[in-house]
Amino acid sequence: MAEIVIKTKNLDKSFGSGETEIHALRDVNLEIMRGDFAAIVGPSGSGKTTLLNILCGLDTVSSGEIQVSGRSLQSMSGSELAKFRREHIGLVFQAYNLIPVLTVLENIEYVMLLQNVPSAERKERVRKFLTEVGLEGKENRFPAELSGGQQQRVAIARAMVSHPDIILADEPTANLDSATGAQLLEMMRRFNEELNMTFVFSTHDPQIMERSKRMVTLTDGRIVSDELK
Amino acid sequence: MLWKLAWRNLWRNRMRTWLSALVIAIGLVALIFLDTMMVGMNTNMVKNATDSLMGHAQMHALGFRDEHEVNLTINNLDESLVQLREHPDLTFLSQRVLTQAMLSSSGGGEPVFTLGIDPAEEQLLSKFDEAIIEGEYLDSVSANKMILGWKVAEKLELVLGDRLVLTAVDAESSEMAQVLFRLSGIFKTGEEQMDGSMVLVPRQTLQKMLKLEGRIHQIALRYKNLTQEGIPLRPLTKPAESSGNELLLWTELMPSLYMITQMTDLSMAIMGIILFLIIALGVTNTLLMGLYERMFEFGIIKSIGTTPWQSARLMLYEAVCLGFLSIVVGLILAVFVIAIFAFYGIDYTGIEFSGVTFQEKIYPSFKWERLVIYPFLSMGFTLLAAVYPAFKLWYMLPIEALRKRKL
Ligand SMILES: Nc1ncnc2c1ncn2[C@@H]1O[C@H](COP(=O)(O)OP(=O)(O)OP(=O)(O)O)[C@@H](O)[C@H]1O
Ligand SMILES: [Mg+2]
Repeated sequence: MAEIVIKTKNLDKSFGSGETEIHALRDVNLEIMRGDFAAIVGPSGSGKTTLLNILCGLDTVSSGEIQVSGRSLQSMSGSELAKFRREHIGLVFQAYNLIPVLTVLENIEYVMLLQNVPSAERKERVRKFLTEVGLEGKENRFPAELSGGQQQRVAIARAMVSHPDIILADEPTANLDSATGAQLLEMMRRFNEELNMTFVFSTHDPQIMERSKRMVTLTDGRIVSDELK
Repeated sequence: MLWKLAWRNLWRNRMRTWLSALVIAIGLVALIFLDTMMVGMNTNMVKNATDSLMGHAQMHALGFRDEHEVNLTINNLDESLVQLREHPDLTFLSQRVLTQAMLSSSGGGEPVFTLGIDPAEEQLLSKFDEAIIEGEYLDSVSANKMILGWKVAEKLELVLGDRLVLTAVDAESSEMAQVLFRLSGIFKTGEEQMDGSMVLVPRQTLQKMLKLEGRIHQIALRYKNLTQEGIPLRPLTKPAESSGNELLLWTELMPSLYMITQMTDLSMAIMGIILFLIIALGVTNTLLMGLYERMFEFGIIKSIGTTPWQSARLMLYEAVCLGFLSIVVGLILAVFVIAIFAFYGIDYTGIEFSGVTFQEKIYPSFKWERLVIYPFLSMGFTLLAAVYPAFKLWYMLPIEALRKRKL
């Protein structure tokens, strides 16, 4: 049986209180296995972003439990969470993932520098992943000099480079045209298969959902279906 | 990496960075400039005061300074002189006899302050010879020549060569003694007291007149090797109380002047702190603006594993970079400004301030330790300005920051 990377128990999340209280997540029980390639889908406002934010410790839960890589996130301080994310979780956002004043190379290197990875190994890993995402030769470009699709590739390379247990991506293709989005997803799928990297991403796009191996559907903050394909 | 990021972030908004740097730099220039001018002014004032009659220090019999009592002459003069002359840093000294007297001419009488001096000795110390505007300075041959301030001359309507009678109380019998002098020169020092009531005559003549042969009231002396503030590096040891004499440095002879020179340090410190506090507020504002503009980016930076402390350092480093830039700009500007004033000076000549008249233009004067302190001060305040933004960045939750840009 595959190893569990993320396990949640009775997750509840609400924003505000009283009259204006919004229940964004209700009773979410989810297990993500190593090697999963899971899409979180659902209508707008169904709680996809909220769930992903909670899974990486960016947001807190109202009640319930959450474990990532065997560790409970609730008890960690801000600094511990930062270090935990740095070691165990790769994050990709919808857009503007990169630090505009750093070059492609420096963006990818950034997390490894925080981790004190020795220089030679850093360069080696940057080169490896730049090739993997098909951007060799662009290491000295600044993000603004890349297309949106290229920027997302760099973001994925950055997420991959520190060998995390899981990569969480909130609508990584939403700002891309469908062909570029499909390519990006193909690449993620390849990493999933070749390197056994675990991915959880949210999307609205039926074409993208098609390419997932597992689909978790949220409606009004509840998991209404969880199918393996 | 954090340094690199901070440095590049600084250049995100060039205009804003240059403006902030310029504001800090101008503050720095203003302080350095004011400081050099203040030091220059102090040096000038002290020099003016000590280059004149006072000298750097004076010796008297205890109590003489109170009422200028004719009888209170320096005790054990020969011994004292030997001791003074032995001191390696002593350059000149002048032995003086002082008395209040009445000066009368055919045109009337006028109370004057009379100084009996040795012309050659006094010349080296107070430069009365240079202040002569009419006639000539005293010489060691003629015993009955007299020079006096131009205002005295004006009041008594005197011309060179006039005969004048000096009347004073002698030391032995307390009786009036009178001596006839001939006016040989008129001086103008720019100092009210001297020009308006001072008379110089040969010392021996005055000693004889006051029955003070071999005795004097005052020794004024000059040192070499003084600090920039005019304090001798190796002062003479003060005579013991039992000797009946006292030796006072100019700081004690003119405490008000000394206090002013001391106060400038304090006022510069206060001014510096106020100025930099204002500047720091502006810098805080600028840094906060940058922080809010890049909120989303900081959200990314924090969410991919930058710890709160590292994020805060990012802001502090940015401030350090800004501080460095400002100091470089500031020091370059300061060199220019000071060079200009060092060339032209500020003309305060003739203006009297705390008993001293400026005789020369004021030029900026450095104190090296200050030139080091001010850049550190501006760096310190720039860092201080970054403390609040850094705290904000520290506490900011990445999720909040990421929400700042709704996609
Ligand atoms: N910070 C917040 N404060 C208040 N309500 C919030 C906040 N964040 C999310 N919500 C609410 O929680 C619910 C779930 O939002 P969430 O962003 O997770 O949905 P989503 O599935 O990601 O939607 P979309 O597909 O539009 O991105 C929504 O009703 C939203 O309005
Ligand atoms: Mg969303």
